[in-house]
Amino acid sequence: MTAILLIASALFCAGVFGLLTQKHAIGVMIAIEVMINAANLIFVGLGQHKGAAVGQSFALFTIAIAVAEVVVGLAIVLLLYRSRGDVQVDEAREMRQ
Amino acid sequence: MSLADLQPLMLGLILACAALLVLLVDLVIKPSGKPILGWLTAAILAGTLVASWLLPLEGEVQAGVWQGNLWSTFLARVMISAGLLAVLGGLDYVARVWPYRQGEFYTLLLFSLTGMVLLPGCRELAAFVVCFELMGIPIYVLAAYSKNDNGKKPPEAALKLLLIGAASTALTFFGAALLVGMAGSSRFAELVPYEPGPLHAVAALLLLAGMAFKIGVAPFHMWVPDTYEGSPTPVVAFLSVAPKVAGFAALSSIFLIAMPTLAHAWRPMLWLLVVVTMVVGNLVAIPQTNLKRLMAFSGVAQVGYILLGFLGGAEFGAAMMLFYLATYVFANIGMFLIVHAVAEAGEGEDIVSLNGLARRSPWLALALLMFLLSLAGIPFVAGFWAKFYVFTAAWRAGHGEMVLLGALFATVALFYYLGVARAAFVNKSAIEGPVPVKRPLALAIVVCLLGTVGLGAWPNPLVEAALAAVQGLY
Repeated sequence: MTAILLIASALFCAGVFGLLTQKHAIGVMIAIEVMINAANLIFVGLGQHKGAAVGQSFALFTIAIAVAEVVVGLAIVLLLYRSRGDVQVDEAREMRQ
Repeated sequence: MSLADLQPLMLGLILACAALLVLLVDLVIKPSGKPILGWLTAAILAGTLVASWLLPLEGEVQAGVWQGNLWSTFLARVMISAGLLAVLGGLDYVARVWPYRQGEFYTLLLFSLTGMVLLPGCRELAAFVVCFELMGIPIYVLAAYSKNDNGKKPPEAALKLLLIGAASTALTFFGAALLVGMAGSSRFAELVPYEPGPLHAVAALLLLAGMAFKIGVAPFHMWVPDTYEGSPTPVVAFLSVAPKVAGFAALSSIFLIAMPTLAHAWRPMLWLLVVVTMVVGNLVAIPQTNLKRLMAFSGVAQVGYILLGFLGGAEFGAAMMLFYLATYVFANIGMFLIVHAVAEAGEGEDIVSLNGLARRSPWLALALLMFLLSLAGIPFVAGFWAKFYVFTAAWRAGHGEMVLLGALFATVALFYYLGVARAAFVNKSAIEGPVPVKRPLALAIVVCLLGTVGLGAWPNPLVEAALAAVQGLY
């Protein structure tokens, strides 16, 4: 159980690090995916440990939700690319700070 | 399981079917007839609102996974009203700006409302997460809806909303995974043991951070001003209240029902968030010149006051949070609709574009004044009672310092709210002639005005309804 928690936490921290340092919109989305997959690892791993199916079934829900989010996200990235020609997050500052 | 078992979910089912109906009608209707979709949506929402009084919505679904009671019904009514007002306010704009994409607009709005309406009754984490995302994902699309009419802002606004929304989802998932993993169950009642460990506290804080992003609590509020400025105003009118109501419902059900034994972990954090939110929201609002950005920071500040009710805890605090949310819906949507009306007249969205409004359209200016007074909490409009009751709740819970801070910042808020009023009533404008307001928009503004003034004059019925609704939470 400790091993699962450690691996998942490391993965989650890697995701948070990516979230904070990535400049490219798709890079940020990948970092978020890594965070969500860390959660999935805990769902499945601890579910197995406890012998309860709820963790595994919950992971199915999170995967489906993450996919929906990525689809919408990529569509918006595409929209941004069409309107400005690049998708660097730190370049997207038309609006006042 | 029979269909009758789903009776408590009826409001959500009606909205989901309505969303599909709008999508189907959109397929068969001629392009010239598409404005009817907006009216159809408005009619269905009005019908659903009426149905919430007629249908029996009490009871459990699937042995307690979803619980219908006065709490879920009260919140559903507030959210549906917000949706109805936003649809009415945006009807002509949507028909004019996106003539071929009206069906999807209303479909997405209805799906988002479905998620919101189902959220307060959830008593199980997987259902809760699905409802939360059903509410959120359509809003990302709506925020990006004006893809080509005002340049680069809408995609940028939507991208910020999406990235921050997705990051908050990831935090929520991780917190949920820890809780479910340790408990071996996803029922709220079994989620946290009587004597929680440190890992439970970590999970609670992750969930709190995830929710805080969604309702725009400082320091997680960075997306709010950009998204408000960049998104189409009728969308913002909806976005600025309905997800907030749902977010507070989610916050209450997860922290008050599932985690009362963890209060020692999340209460101090919440206390800190309230302080930061009030300070940041109010102070940053002062120098803003764009009305939508000003309203964004005012919204952040208002979230601080609503959280104060939540911090007040127990039944009274939660009930006053409900009351505050209901008054906030009217004042805030009304405010955004007036900004929308003025922007539609071609004046832009800055505070200076309100100049001379009192001379040009006295009624619109009067409505604006009432909404501003309500947001600022001046007697005797709805917002005054909301602030008063929330402060009372915090005082009773022993948070005297918060009442002092809240009162102090209410005075600061007066400064920027009255700055907007001064533009409308004192400043002169070169433009003459009244601001044209389309009928549905005028109707929505009148309803908001009646709500704001009416609740100011007779707050008691709603206060009692809120107190009764909170019984369903425990």
